[in-house]
Amino acid sequence: MITLENLETVFHQVFDDHSITLQRETTADDIEDWDSLTHMNLVIALELKYSIKFALGELQKLKNVGDMLDLINKKAAR
Amino acid sequence: MSYELIQNNQYNIGHICTKQQCEAGRGKKTAMRWFSPRLERSDYTFSDLEGSSNRFANLLKGLGIAKGEVLFTFLPKSTEQIVAFLGSLKVECITGTLFSNFGEDSLLDRLGDSAARLVVTRKSLYRKIERIRDQLPALRTIILTDVAADLSADVLSWPHLMADASETFAVPVTTADTPSVLHYTSGSTGKPKGVLHRHGSVLQQSHTASEVLGLGEDDLFWCTADQGWVTGTSYGIIGPWSLGVTQLHYSGGYDAGHWLDLLQRERVTVWYTAPTALRMLMREEQELYQGLDLNHLKQIFSVGEPLNPEVIIWSRSCLDKEIYDTWFQTETGAIMIANRPGVPIRPGSMGTALPGIEPGILADDGTELPAGSQGNLCLKAGWDSMFITYLNNDSAYRSKFRDGWYYTGDMAWQDRDGYYWFLGRSDDVINTSGHLVSPFEVESALLELPEIAESGVIGVPDELLFEKVIAFVHIDAGIEFTAELELKIRLHIANRLSSVAIPQEVLQLERLPKNKSGKIMRRVLKARYLGLDAGDISTLEE
Repeated sequence: MITLENLETVFHQVFDDHSITLQRETTADDIEDWDSLTHMNLVIALELKYSIKFALGELQKLKNVGDMLDLINKKAAR
Repeated sequence: MSYELIQNNQYNIGHICTKQQCEAGRGKKTAMRWFSPRLERSDYTFSDLEGSSNRFANLLKGLGIAKGEVLFTFLPKSTEQIVAFLGSLKVECITGTLFSNFGEDSLLDRLGDSAARLVVTRKSLYRKIERIRDQLPALRTIILTDVAADLSADVLSWPHLMADASETFAVPVTTADTPSVLHYTSGSTGKPKGVLHRHGSVLQQSHTASEVLGLGEDDLFWCTADQGWVTGTSYGIIGPWSLGVTQLHYSGGYDAGHWLDLLQRERVTVWYTAPTALRMLMREEQELYQGLDLNHLKQIFSVGEPLNPEVIIWSRSCLDKEIYDTWFQTETGAIMIANRPGVPIRPGSMGTALPGIEPGILADDGTELPAGSQGNLCLKAGWDSMFITYLNNDSAYRSKFRDGWYYTGDMAWQDRDGYYWFLGRSDDVINTSGHLVSPFEVESALLELPEIAESGVIGVPDELLFEKVIAFVHIDAGIEFTAELELKIRLHIANRLSSVAIPQEVLQLERLPKNKSGKIMRRVLKARYLGLDAGDISTLEE
């Protein structure tokens, strides 16, 4: 089971900011450097870390970090 | 317009955008309708802007910041960024705006070259400056917008300083030639260059806001550009407010639902955005547009990179609106060539020259070429918003001018009816979603990684971004090119330079094509990537 704390370490690496704390409600608007371009870095980092693959456009439908965590756990369990 | 705009020889942009509007009876008029990423709304009158920018001007004086000294904001879209911009211009400081996604190398280049004395930022971004601060001896003061109390003697609290500052400030009578705004721009070689403007640029910015964008007293104008770029300052601050026009500012990023909601609900009348954003809107589900009422929206304008005809055609059928593409550069300070209402649009063209602007298509030897010929797009020097130098690099500035012509670095041709058509850059600079990226800077950053022995960076056409960044790397022997290494490369570029410089593809090569002097031949890399003939490769060392 991947937790918010686990995700935080990936966010720290991707955004080079160890002060980031994640809540389920966190969105891209809450993290300074999270834009459409750094988002690709996040996708690659998550895929590598958890040996999963996101389908094209799959992440665009997520509303917040909580949704992202649920999707990652679903994929990792397969 | 200029005879009304300039009163008592006062060219000060900060004054014109605030106090002059109050004196014209607009003190209680909304200057800025601000929306947070969650669409929470706050309105600010011209009187509010006048008071808060005066406070900032006074606090600068209190900190000993003087005329001609350089300060920057390093902030995402925020009200503090705008207040600091106007307030510092009132003190006749040189003011720059740094894109909030800049990494440490990009910050060091800009803050170091300009010998900036002060930076306004927020706590989460300050960490980037902290890491390089020992290399910035001129940087005396940091102001953080989101801390309640000073952190140290030189890391100060915006709320604290602003609360203590007076709301009245006597702006000095500022000449047209007084330096004003500083934006750094990337070239194909060397470090980014500081494009310095003057207060007199307001003449052109105001004139084009009126005559091209068609802004008037009752408009609600929305420019989506970030204030980190020239469009965000020339048309997200100066042009509209010099005319007393209400502006909408949305501090979130691209969000089709929020954007269309704001356009409709707030009854925006004139919208200035970018081709990449329009192409993203074009790709959204068509249900998003059902029932959308944009009757009040008079015009849509676009700037940043060429607008492809498909977007114009989509807008006509889906939004029932024309999109007018405009062209200018950081160096030109304001729109020079444009499609505009009253002049038939030729989809895909840059439009026609504005009155008073004299473009020419010149051969490399300076010969003026006739209509239909491809060549260097040049402008007769002397327009009001022409940059006044590259800071600390006057030789580079002078190299852009020959026989009274400014060489834009763009290649174009003119048809027989006076429309200009963009062909590409005459150098290797990459235009990705309206942002110029220097291949040299990306190559240099890549070489900072111990795994990379050589690097070559090019821009290639992209349907969404106009151009995308492609990096070729030669990896040291014994090191495997893995997905982890690719991620490391991407993160390194994002954190050292900026997210806009992240390569969309990183490709490994056994050997990079070089000429006999050892210089990477980007032209050959590009031809190979695109499957084209590389042309003359007689100098290739392989």
